[in-house]
Amino acid sequence: MNHTLQMNLHQVEGALIRLLGLIERRGFAVTSMNAYTGEQHVEVTVDIHSAGRSVETLTRQIQKLYDVRSVACLTAAEAPAALGGSVAC
Amino acid sequence: MSSKGAELVVRALEQQGVEIIFGYPGGAIMPVYDALLNSSVKHILARHEQGAALAADAYARVTGRPGVCMATSGPGATNLVTGIANAFMDSVPLVVITGQVPTTVMGTDAFQEVDVFGITMPIVKHSFIVRRAEDIPKTIALAFQIAAEGRPGPVLVDLPKDIANAVPAHAPIYETRRPKRVVPDAAQVQAARELILGAQRPVLYGGGGIPIAGAVDAFRAYARASGIPVVTTLKGLGSVSTRDENFLGMLGMHGNRAANRAIQESDLLICVGARFDDRATGKLDGFAPKASVIHMDADPSEIGKLRFADAGLLGDLVESLAAMPTGLDIAPWQQWCAARKVEHAWRYDAPGDDIYVPHMLRRLTEEAPDVTIACDVGQHQMWVAQHCHFDRPEQHLTSAGLGTMGYGIPAGIGACLARPGARVVTVSGDGSIMMNIQELQTIKRYGLDLKILLVDNSSLGMVRQWQQLFHGERYSEVDLSDNPDFVEVARSFGIPAFRITRRDEVEGAIRRLLDTEGPLLAHVCIDPKSNVWPLVPPGQSNDVMMEELSA
Ligand SMILES: Cc1ncc(C[n+]2csc(CCOP(=O)(O)OP(=O)(O)O)c2C)c(N)n1
Repeated sequence: MNHTLQMNLHQVEGALIRLLGLIERRGFAVTSMNAYTGEQHVEVTVDIHSAGRSVETLTRQIQKLYDVRSVACLTAAEAPAALGGSVAC
Repeated sequence: MSSKGAELVVRALEQQGVEIIFGYPGGAIMPVYDALLNSSVKHILARHEQGAALAADAYARVTGRPGVCMATSGPGATNLVTGIANAFMDSVPLVVITGQVPTTVMGTDAFQEVDVFGITMPIVKHSFIVRRAEDIPKTIALAFQIAAEGRPGPVLVDLPKDIANAVPAHAPIYETRRPKRVVPDAAQVQAARELILGAQRPVLYGGGGIPIAGAVDAFRAYARASGIPVVTTLKGLGSVSTRDENFLGMLGMHGNRAANRAIQESDLLICVGARFDDRATGKLDGFAPKASVIHMDADPSEIGKLRFADAGLLGDLVESLAAMPTGLDIAPWQQWCAARKVEHAWRYDAPGDDIYVPHMLRRLTEEAPDVTIACDVGQHQMWVAQHCHFDRPEQHLTSAGLGTMGYGIPAGIGACLARPGARVVTVSGDGSIMMNIQELQTIKRYGLDLKILLVDNSSLGMVRQWQQLFHGERYSEVDLSDNPDFVEVARSFGIPAFRITRRDEVEGAIRRLLDTEGPLLAHVCIDPKSNVWPLVPPGQSNDVMMEELSA
């Protein structure tokens, strides 16, 4: 599934890397991105893709980041995704 | 009088009420160590930064307040990494202060420069690099606030040496705001109530979030009032007393069969502060296949992460639990669970003269119900979880999410310092103990009354068990028969020690551990082929439990 997320971050050291790192770590690929730095904030828009992970969970994980002021998913809601067969070892 | 940045750090710790910190000095953090000399904060010198971080982790688990650890830049900081990850995986509040090379040379590969801010980003709740000395009071205060509020976790503060030495023109005292209590959504509470009132076979599935949220009493009260059978995760053990008649056991890979069967049969899972971890659920789509789910958690991103929640109660567990209905009509289900509990009760009548570790551990907690057990990782850890009794979750310190071999001794140290006078026993394995064996000196140095029960099977038992069962008995690098003489090792650190090899020596050893003042190590030699049963093979669903292979 492809989604577009729009975020507003406090402009502090590490905020952008922390955000992008989380997105990739949680199983989403960034296919396009745009960041605009204002006085104190950074506006970030990313297009992301994932085979089966829930973007709703991802937005909540992003929302928890201390530097994130807001996050919005600009694509329609999806049916809750379930992880496929157990892959854990 | 104006103070240096390093003094502001120490003052900020004092202001947070910090009494004890764990650490190890070095070049970049020296200004802070200098400032500590004038402080009431007591510093515990570990013998490896990992030991300091893991001890601070256990200190936090026992006290319920953030633990603090400190190290220098470069190797000092990288040595903390496993401890930080451990705290992250188990949601433990930890404030980690690392020295850093001066800002003027950051980014030039200066001596002992390492980007610990970057290295730890995926394993911290949040992190800071302090760029101005006047920001220190605010940064430290925020670090404590972020570490402790909501779902706790580690917060790193990287402090360049020039900032620690700088004298700011002004350094305002910073007051943090009080955390706001999140109350669960009324519509979801109503949905959850209806699910419970309509359920025939409900199960309470309790996790480590219960003690973290201070909800142990509320959880017990609800379990008792509702009569709903209880299973817990590894970290949830003790949330109801393990002696409670409603308690069926730990669920999951090495769980009790009664607990797993109840979950598989249930029509409603009330998940309280747990997170559907794969060690608990087994194959996810085979987990509790007939059940609806109520999920109560402080972390919004956990609800619905791995399993759809029919009702999601975000926020204070105490409030959520208090709003749930009692007076349920589930007698047949209670009887079914009680019968399974009897049917699958642990048996301790193992044949032979070899020491049977499950029985030894059971006897230990029967003789000392107040004991706090700090575990290492492996078979012995699972035996502790299965067979020890716990009245409170703080009595059981275990590295659950990360499974960090080497946790046991530092955790025991942290527990001894958190509750002076408490009875603390570290249960370790011959593999795990070597990962932080140097901390025996910390026990000696501070005169800690830590007992160590070292279960020695001359192998990396848990790995050996998997090689036996899942790799066709192809044993690869699990033999530790060349271990040192652990009794001599302990004695050389100034810690008395003794050895037992036969079952008839177990009772005497337990008495000796419980009756001796001061540290003591019991070296317990067991059959290298002992295994942990039952076991859900990795990737299988929890109704596929393997039982002991007949020899
Ligand atoms: C730091 C670390 N390295 C490797 C592992 C993988 N591992 C899990 S259990 C285990 C064996 C532990 O051996 P021991 O401490 O002797 O305990 P036993 O299983 O024999 O009781 C290993 C190597 C781990 N959990 N942690």
